[in-house]
Amino acid sequence: MSQPKEIFVKTDRCMGCRSCIIACAVAHSESKTLFGAVAQSPGPKNRVYVEWVAPDKKVPIVCRQCEDAPCMYACISGAISRNEKGIVVTDPDKCIGCWTCVMVCPYGVIGRNLETRKAYRCDRCPDRDIPACVSACPTGALVYDTVPAYSGAVRKQVSQALSKAEGE
Amino acid sequence: MAYNENILNKSIDPAVHQMLARAETLGLETVWDRYEKMLPECGFGELGVCCRNCNMGPCRISPFEDQGPQKGVCGATADIIVARNLIRMIAGGAAAHSDHGRDLAHTLLLTAQGKSGGYKIKDETKLMALAKEYGIDVNGRSKEDIALALAKNVYAEFGKQEGYVQFTRRAPDKRLAVWQKAGIDPRGIDREIVEIMHRTHIGVDNDPVNLILQGLKASIADGWGGSMIATEISDVLFGTPTPTRSTVNLGVIKADQVNIIVHGHEPVLSEMIMAASNDPDLVSRATAAGAAGINVTGMCCTGNELMMRHGIPIAGNFLQQELAVITGAVEAMIVDVQCIMPSLGDLCECFHTRFISTSPKAKFPGAVHMQFNEEKALEIAKSIVESAVDNFTNRNPAKVFIPDEKTDCMAGFSTEAILAALGGTLDPLLDAIKSGAVKGIAGVVGCNNPKIKHDHGHVALVRELVKNNVLVVTTGCNAIACAKAGLMVPEAANTAGDGLKGVCQSLGVPPVLHMGSCVDISRILTVCAAIANALDVDICDLPVAGAAPEWMSEKAVSIGAYVVSSGIFTVLGTVPPVLGSPLVTNILTHAANDVVGAAFAVETDPIKGAGLMIAHIEKKRQALGL
Amino acid sequence: MTADDSQYMIVGGCAAGMAAAHAIREHDRQGTVTVISEEPCAPYFRPLIPFVISGKNQWEQMALEGCGPYTGSNIFVRTHSRVASVNPAARSVFLQDGTCLGYQKILFATGSRPHMPPDIKGVDASGVFALRTLAHAKAMAQRVEQTRHAVMLGGGLLNLKTAFALLERHLKVTLVVYSPEVLSQLMAPEDALLIRKALENAGLTIKTGVSATGILSDSTGVTGVTLDDGSHLACQMVCIGKGVRPNVDYLENSGIALENGIVTDRYTACNLPDTFAAGDVAITHEPISGAPISTALWTNAVEMGRCAGQNMAGIKTAYTGTFGILNATQVADEPFVSMGVVHTENSDCQVFRQATKTTYRKMVFDADGTRLIGAVFVGDITNAGLYRYVIRERLPVSGFKQQIIDHTLNYGYFMR
Ligand SMILES: Cc1cc2nc3c(=O)[nH]c(=O)nc-3n(C[C@H](O)[C@H](O)[C@H](O)COP(=O)(O)OP(=O)(O)OC[C@H]3O[C@@H](n4cnc5c(N)ncnc54)[C@H](O)[C@@H]3O)c2cc1C
Ligand code: SF4
Repeated sequence: MSQPKEIFVKTDRCMGCRSCIIACAVAHSESKTLFGAVAQSPGPKNRVYVEWVAPDKKVPIVCRQCEDAPCMYACISGAISRNEKGIVVTDPDKCIGCWTCVMVCPYGVIGRNLETRKAYRCDRCPDRDIPACVSACPTGALVYDTVPAYSGAVRKQVSQALSKAEGE
Repeated sequence: MAYNENILNKSIDPAVHQMLARAETLGLETVWDRYEKMLPECGFGELGVCCRNCNMGPCRISPFEDQGPQKGVCGATADIIVARNLIRMIAGGAAAHSDHGRDLAHTLLLTAQGKSGGYKIKDETKLMALAKEYGIDVNGRSKEDIALALAKNVYAEFGKQEGYVQFTRRAPDKRLAVWQKAGIDPRGIDREIVEIMHRTHIGVDNDPVNLILQGLKASIADGWGGSMIATEISDVLFGTPTPTRSTVNLGVIKADQVNIIVHGHEPVLSEMIMAASNDPDLVSRATAAGAAGINVTGMCCTGNELMMRHGIPIAGNFLQQELAVITGAVEAMIVDVQCIMPSLGDLCECFHTRFISTSPKAKFPGAVHMQFNEEKALEIAKSIVESAVDNFTNRNPAKVFIPDEKTDCMAGFSTEAILAALGGTLDPLLDAIKSGAVKGIAGVVGCNNPKIKHDHGHVALVRELVKNNVLVVTTGCNAIACAKAGLMVPEAANTAGDGLKGVCQSLGVPPVLHMGSCVDISRILTVCAAIANALDVDICDLPVAGAAPEWMSEKAVSIGAYVVSSGIFTVLGTVPPVLGSPLVTNILTHAANDVVGAAFAVETDPIKGAGLMIAHIEKKRQALGL
Repeated sequence: MTADDSQYMIVGGCAAGMAAAHAIREHDRQGTVTVISEEPCAPYFRPLIPFVISGKNQWEQMALEGCGPYTGSNIFVRTHSRVASVNPAARSVFLQDGTCLGYQKILFATGSRPHMPPDIKGVDASGVFALRTLAHAKAMAQRVEQTRHAVMLGGGLLNLKTAFALLERHLKVTLVVYSPEVLSQLMAPEDALLIRKALENAGLTIKTGVSATGILSDSTGVTGVTLDDGSHLACQMVCIGKGVRPNVDYLENSGIALENGIVTDRYTACNLPDTFAAGDVAITHEPISGAPISTALWTNAVEMGRCAGQNMAGIKTAYTGTFGILNATQVADEPFVSMGVVHTENSDCQVFRQATKTTYRKMVFDADGTRLIGAVFVGDITNAGLYRYVIRERLPVSGFKQQIIDHTLNYGYFMR
């Protein structure tokens, strides 16, 4: 299976509970446990965000691993590269905290660690099969799948809904 | 001055606009900023489907059937969890109101025993009437003696195990029969609240209908119990309100005086602060410090209590408490209990303002605690006022910014005062209702909530009602909103429909009657009971409706529950956390009609909300053949 | 084909040149790619050179090759070689040492060099610097040993970065700024107040509204600076940061069209066949107005270089252009971003400012208020990239203008 998996967002599913945010921070903490993470100082950083869109939409936003990742080309210190798994990573040793990447990322998913003055971002949880945010979402608003599988599932769902509606 | 949309969208009150711009300049955070930071708010909480009642959880039910858990670890469904959470809110609200009532009973007891420091029995007529209601022998006894017997009787209501709560017997017999049939005639105030906590414990009551019935029962113990006790005993101690003129809004804070704001709920404290502020020694101390006097103003319901009885001005309603501090001209923000934002501590630190907590039940970060007790009431009140006066010289004139907004109003419409205005009998009002000049009566109450443009929910809904010849009676933060909007002067009759206008003009009263603080919703119940009895019908047959356009507190949930239990259709302006259970939602909005003869509606648009109330009133008029 | 006769020739081995070389490699695995660089060392991340002065980094840690997206292989870099002239008709270049090299397609990516204002006398003294290259940085690092006080002429970003490097070496540093406020190229004076405060808190001495008239020196090198207010500052180092000028002298008489830089079309091509230009040396266009501009931006150099590389490799790609101002950085504890149209005095733009104790922002809309054209964020740069997107794509803002003004816009607004 060579197709890489991506994180998809079903915007109509998000409840705004921020479970993904907590799970992400825990997954990026030293202890990898909630209770350890809240005791950690400085605290671990989450890399997924839940935004609010007036009047009442809630939207999780996470790094898209853009094909032509603007952050990677903009970085003035060579800190951002794509690894062998296709994930765009920021090397904290190289990062100088100039925030040029923040200035060019349209999704707003690059975080700024003010204590260390380093940029940080979603790393797709390299130690896990499924990214922590996806596992944590209680309503399935986040989906981890390959592009063809995900769009196939969406198509199937739509056609099921259609045939159900016709059957009624 | 022009303000940006962001500010204009937050409130309809120009004083708020000015203060928000000021806060922005000073870089100060307010409730609106915190609300925006909270967005998006958690949908599970909004739907009421999260449960933390035991430690197998926390659990939450997914609103999407195909994804996520549909039952808690114990097996509770969304219906059960929503019902449990809802009645726990009722328990919180009923507890708050009733504990307020208990404090008044305590003060009456001490006063009767001659142990209270500065309180008197002001309204003997009411004392006698209440004694009679309780079957206390009054012949040949001193008023202290009678008060002592009354206090003991009232005190006993809270811990009563059997029988009934006396004031519930003010309800029409038909209403009592409804309650008894449904098994929701409360036995004692504390008992019903405790029973909610018991039933919602893991593995006790898991029938949503049974749970909600208990919620209604506890709420009745609040409205016709705890709250009504608070109202009645306050009247005995501090006088039953009569119509009085006053002013509202932040402009009542005076640049050249020592400004003291009393904020919270119980008149036990604020009455004494007011008395202490008239102490000649303290006044001259203030003058010596360079102030022109001591200016006591109210905030939230304790403000309503003072205004109703003494015409003391009110600086604002719930969402204005932080803004009052930001005027930089407040020497002391003195608080007791309920609806006091813990943010005041940080905010007061940005100014010279002393944040003084007084109740052993309510301490706050950043506050100086000067514990109040009824036995040394005046003495303590004086030392609190003294500390405010001494703070005057710390005021930084460069930081003072008081908006020029204040509005005249008329308050003090207790049930007794309304009767007096009508000439001692309900007949003129009944005639006006029968003739259709007054279509009906609406009780509009409740808090502020940053989810709704401040005061817009209140004022737009009330204006619409008044325009349609519905007489509005109000309490709490709605009352303050209406007063600020100029709806509480007799001249506001001009904004009413022709029928209501004529009635108001002939009686010389505003179309919106200020009946007091949030516990004084009990006064509205008393009026409704009296009208129903006069017409020999149940309350649910009357052309009356209720609304809480900007509600937010647990107290408001309890209020809504007892108003509906009393047979009054009620419109909520913010969505309660129940939509996660279609069953509970249906009970509240429909099925309740079959049990108590009334139900809730949720409508966030105030004009449409008023429309629902008017339609309801019309329907009831028709049924009565009017 | 030998290295002497290259299919793709790139003059200048920094952001634009190396980005182009890698872009070519992505599309053409065979063709020879030769980069010619005047500098003696391998390509490096130019913006990192202040760290050589501060001592935080060794220059070896700044090499470009193998870092970030610069991992392409088989790119031949010829260092220490200055191109003296170009003959586009003959498709050949002449190096300073007389070597002649042929090519099929050529990219001019020679960047820019510091501008030395002619009205300042004595700039030749030792201890006077205008930081641009690693060699400069190394020399400065050495000069620090005999310096107690350094005077920086010019209040731009380059001088601020250099100043901080010197502060880290515990020098006293004075910034002499002719404009009324620091960073006058990137923001209006009132936008820079927080930054000014942060700079002063960090220990920088700032003199605004004055300029240097002369630099004094003796056998030890610089001894002081005279200012136009008649005063005199004793110092042992002077750093000039007065903007940059394109490196185009080797193209005189080559037939390549020059206008304070190399003129390019939308496809990064110059006026003669198979010639391209990118980076600081090229004239590109501003995406909003379409006006020609030259920039001094790493981001532009890389983007335009990549675009040029694609065009050279035969993938016709239009360059979207860049804002003249597109800067992010953090000075002291104050992060800021400045982009698009930010100088609004005497213009009819709609401007919304919001200042708190710790943050400042300015949102600039066009005259009828329908499009965002510029923004300055100080202190809180959250979602800056989204605003860049809104500006660059010229999105109509009617659905979310208030969110822009309040700085609460998020990408959710663009998701269905
Ligand atoms: C200290 C410092 C900090 C900076 N910080 C930032 C920042 O934070 N953000 C940002 O966007 N930009 C920053 N810049 C600017 C950025 O570095 C430049 O815009 C960018 O390097 C331009 O790249 P370029 O490839 O066009 O030209 P250059 O980097 O100037 O490279 C051109 C190369 O060509 C060589 N060359 C010139 N003429 C010839 C010739 N005739 N023959 C052979 N070789 C020649 C030069 O020696 C040089 O090596 C900074 C610059 C400096 C000096
Ligand atoms: S903040 Fe770090 S990762 Fe981002 S552009 Fe700057 S150096 Fe690169």
